Amino acid sequence: MSSDHSHGNSAHDAPPNPYLEKQASPEQTEVLEKRVQALESLLVAKGLVTSETLDKLVETYENDLGPTNGAKVIAKAWVDPAYKERLLKDATAAIGELGFSGLQGEHMVVVENTPDTHNMVVCTLCSCYPWPVLGLPPAWFKDAAYRSRSVVDPRGVLRDFGLELDKSTAVKVWDSSAEIRYMVLPERPAGTEGMSEEELTALVSRDSMIGVTKVGSPTA
Amino acid sequence: MKQTPDRTISNMEGDSALPRKSGELVFHDAWERRAFALAVVLCEQGHYQWDEFRDHLIAEIGAADAAKAESPDTSFPGYYEHWLASFEKVLIEKGICTPDQLPSKTTK
Repeated sequence: MSSDHSHGNSAHDAPPNPYLEKQASPEQTEVLEKRVQALESLLVAKGLVTSETLDKLVETYENDLGPTNGAKVIAKAWVDPAYKERLLKDATAAIGELGFSGLQGEHMVVVENTPDTHNMVVCTLCSCYPWPVLGLPPAWFKDAAYRSRSVVDPRGVLRDFGLELDKSTAVKVWDSSAEIRYMVLPERPAGTEGMSEEELTALVSRDSMIGVTKVGSPTA
Repeated sequence: MKQTPDRTISNMEGDSALPRKSGELVFHDAWERRAFALAVVLCEQGHYQWDEFRDHLIAEIGAADAAKAESPDTSFPGYYEHWLASFEKVLIEKGICTPDQLPSKTTK
């Protein structure tokens, strides 16, 4: 799955986690393959597992979109000005306040959308992504076209996502890396004044936190 | 089987955190996938609590880290080798297998 990453050791991917690199030699791998195969056969023979169950389980974990932690962060920032201030000042700490961590050494930076400025996030080199808050990156985020076009023609990319910005609105593009992962604080839509934090959380889409869409007004 | 991942497994933090790259689970070889699935499936079936497995995993990783600090140049087992060793320990502990049934005894 990661074999297409030719820049494996660039700053973008530099693994603080030693287990991201394969440790076992080909000989060791063969021994391990046999050991697990034998273990699986043993447990199948005992009637505890079937091979199909195992395949399905791995799929479930590999395709997990993850929790919508980011939406909770955004909703809290909308209703709690003091939290928002902390979030913009030190996002890693403010996100940690809500119990979300798990980034391994990377810092989070949250950038705020305003009527004057629209922010969007890209990783031009690979697909650095703040997964503890946003879950797995969408396929297009890893797409070469998105990665390169976001830099040269951000307005065009946004238009493809259905977002037409005023000419007077500046567009800022933030390039995520191994050290810094960006997330966008979208504007709170009109018509949400009476909504609870929980209701607001449900409004915040993943794409709005990457900055390729806005958060839509709730339709009554 | 559950349709959604168990968060206590999926979101483990610290030394026992699942290796991930931009959120995606990292498996180097087919056996790592199988070892992952075996340990999770048997836990889902109630043969042990996740913490009981995880305690072994943390201990295995901790021991390897200590050994690594002693002699940094030697190569050390990967995450799923620790995982596999922990799984075998929990199988014996829970009486699911006897030590002499385990393949590690015969392939070594």
